[in-house]
Amino acid sequence: MGLLGLQRLMSLQGDRQQYRRQIVARNGSIASVNKRKGSPCLHDGDGDSQAGKILGCSIPDLPEDIWRHIHSLMPLRDAARAACLSHAFLYSWRCHPNLIFNEDELSSKTHANKQNFNDTIDRILTNHSGIGVKILNFELDGIAYHNLDKWLQVAVTPGIEELTVMLCRFKIQYKFPCSLLSEGIRNSIKFLELGFCIFHPTAELGTLRSLTCLCLFHVHIEGNELECLLSNSPVLEQLDLSHCDKIICLKIPCVLQQLNYLKAVACRRLRVIENQAPNLSSLYFSGNVIGETSQVKNLSINRSKGVCYARVELPSIMPNLETLGIRSGDEGVNTPMLPTKFMYLKHINIFVKSGTTSPPYDYLSLVSFLDASPSLETLILDVSQERMEHHESVLGHSSHWRQMDEHHCSLKSVKIIGFSSAKSLVELTCYILKIAISLESLTLDTLYGFRCSDENYNRCLCMGKRILSEAPRAVTAVRMYIEDKVPSGVKLTVVEPCSRCHAVPVGA
Amino acid sequence: MASAGSGDEKAAAAAMITLISSDNEKFEVTEATATLSQTIRHMIEDGCTDGGVPLPNVTSKILARVIEYCKKHATAAAGEEGSSSSFSDAAFLEVDRAFLEELEEFDDAFLEVDRATLFDLILAANYLDIKGLLNLTCQKVADSVKGKTPEQIREMYNIVNDLTPEEEAEIRRETQWAFE
Repeated sequence: MGLLGLQRLMSLQGDRQQYRRQIVARNGSIASVNKRKGSPCLHDGDGDSQAGKILGCSIPDLPEDIWRHIHSLMPLRDAARAACLSHAFLYSWRCHPNLIFNEDELSSKTHANKQNFNDTIDRILTNHSGIGVKILNFELDGIAYHNLDKWLQVAVTPGIEELTVMLCRFKIQYKFPCSLLSEGIRNSIKFLELGFCIFHPTAELGTLRSLTCLCLFHVHIEGNELECLLSNSPVLEQLDLSHCDKIICLKIPCVLQQLNYLKAVACRRLRVIENQAPNLSSLYFSGNVIGETSQVKNLSINRSKGVCYARVELPSIMPNLETLGIRSGDEGVNTPMLPTKFMYLKHINIFVKSGTTSPPYDYLSLVSFLDASPSLETLILDVSQERMEHHESVLGHSSHWRQMDEHHCSLKSVKIIGFSSAKSLVELTCYILKIAISLESLTLDTLYGFRCSDENYNRCLCMGKRILSEAPRAVTAVRMYIEDKVPSGVKLTVVEPCSRCHAVPVGA
Repeated sequence: MASAGSGDEKAAAAAMITLISSDNEKFEVTEATATLSQTIRHMIEDGCTDGGVPLPNVTSKILARVIEYCKKHATAAAGEEGSSSSFSDAAFLEVDRAFLEELEEFDDAFLEVDRATLFDLILAANYLDIKGLLNLTCQKVADSVKGKTPEQIREMYNIVNDLTPEEEAEIRRETQWAFE
């Protein structure tokens, strides 16, 4: 640290407490705490209000704490340049509260060499006072981080609210130092996100009194270690786990009274979530869940035979569901008709692939969900798949149409993605048109994915040959069997291949 | 405020607050609008708003703009409370994007002011303790220095350089990466 830095730091030490009170959260107001007279970062001394007048403009002065707030809102590069403005800005830079180190922040047009990023971070943190850091974010994929321990020592200080450490995706070898989480830090930290790290919290860690959100991405942590951490996080609201492959059983203790959101996806060995948190309302997982689930309102699951699982198991274990998302890569079995109900289910989104079983998945069996859900308003069904030859097409067959009991439902909006001429899909659509007496819109997308007409895209998603050759048949099926059944009050939208992006070569 | 959240529209409509600017102009606003200001919220809680709330630091011109902001955002806040879905990850519901976009457009248009007005708005937002407005206006200033040199910034905002040439050279060396 240079002499200048040292001097500033020494004068800062006395101000430490005062300053900490002054800087408030990212969204916080800096009103009136420790307000000073005048505006020392604009001008020195008593003559400060003169400067504006001399220059012939009437811009009012801003107090120093507001300038600090403005400085804190600048991206790192602008904030570093602003440090050269005056003593006050330099002082403010030494306490810059938002330290976000990633490729975007560190690279410039002329300087994209990641090799230097390590030196840059090192220089910034060596000169930083460590005071007042609210947000510390390291996203170091491809950036050397052999000094990371030192950086954390400097910048993780009491008062910190958000800490993110995302490392290189190829090697998980960095062990996050639990000793870093001293009492002062445990009292203030609200958000902790670790990626590609080893993390071994123990029972001795102590309570994280403010932690509301914990995200672990490709983290080596055992189930019992995570349980320790959770038991020590009484105000946790959101837990987000993905690719944490060492966890087999995830136990959520009942002390987590405020936990409302739990996501546990792609954790390969995770077999079961045992939940005791009483207020869990949103759940996103791929596996089994046992314990307290009666308050779950929003659920998203990803598992094979997920549609059948949801229909059979969920009405009893999650009677309050309002929103349900299902992703089933290999459904195989038809959805059974059952007497159980989803009394509050309003929105359902199903992505189903029928797999390669024969006979193929019967889309008409999804009627079971309509029948069970008297409050259902929205249905989004994604059946897009490259191969549909297992399915019998409605075109060129004279087989009979199946008759179903007709119970009116309250669906308002239906969208089917990957719409094809599969007979059971056309049957389902016709059935919906009959029973959905409040229907307002029906969208049949013969493809899937983004379109060139969407914002931010200048071309449509590329489609495989089979899909593109099926799409015109799907459109024909709509013309022949569906169009004339659409009541006048319903808006029918058929999304066809794009004439520009999806032009099929002649002879294909 | 119980009346604002109770859904009893008559009670909410009845709760009007009078704000008085430094040049003695009176503004009638709903309690829901006024309480975006923490300063005014505290005054209401302390029961000292009868006869109007004098705001000696805010001119009628600025107060009118501040109220315009609060009205728009009070409606937005009420809308947010109404929607129950917090399931961001599932993202399968078409959220009411149009409303959020409209709010963003409003904010953008709101910030189309000269620098003196912007600073007055910052001071008013700070005095009235309106977090959203303070962040919005401060962010505008923070964004305005993007890519600018220290000399340019000093000129834009009348900032006096009190660093010695040696000090400035040293800090320039330290932050060299930001100038590349």
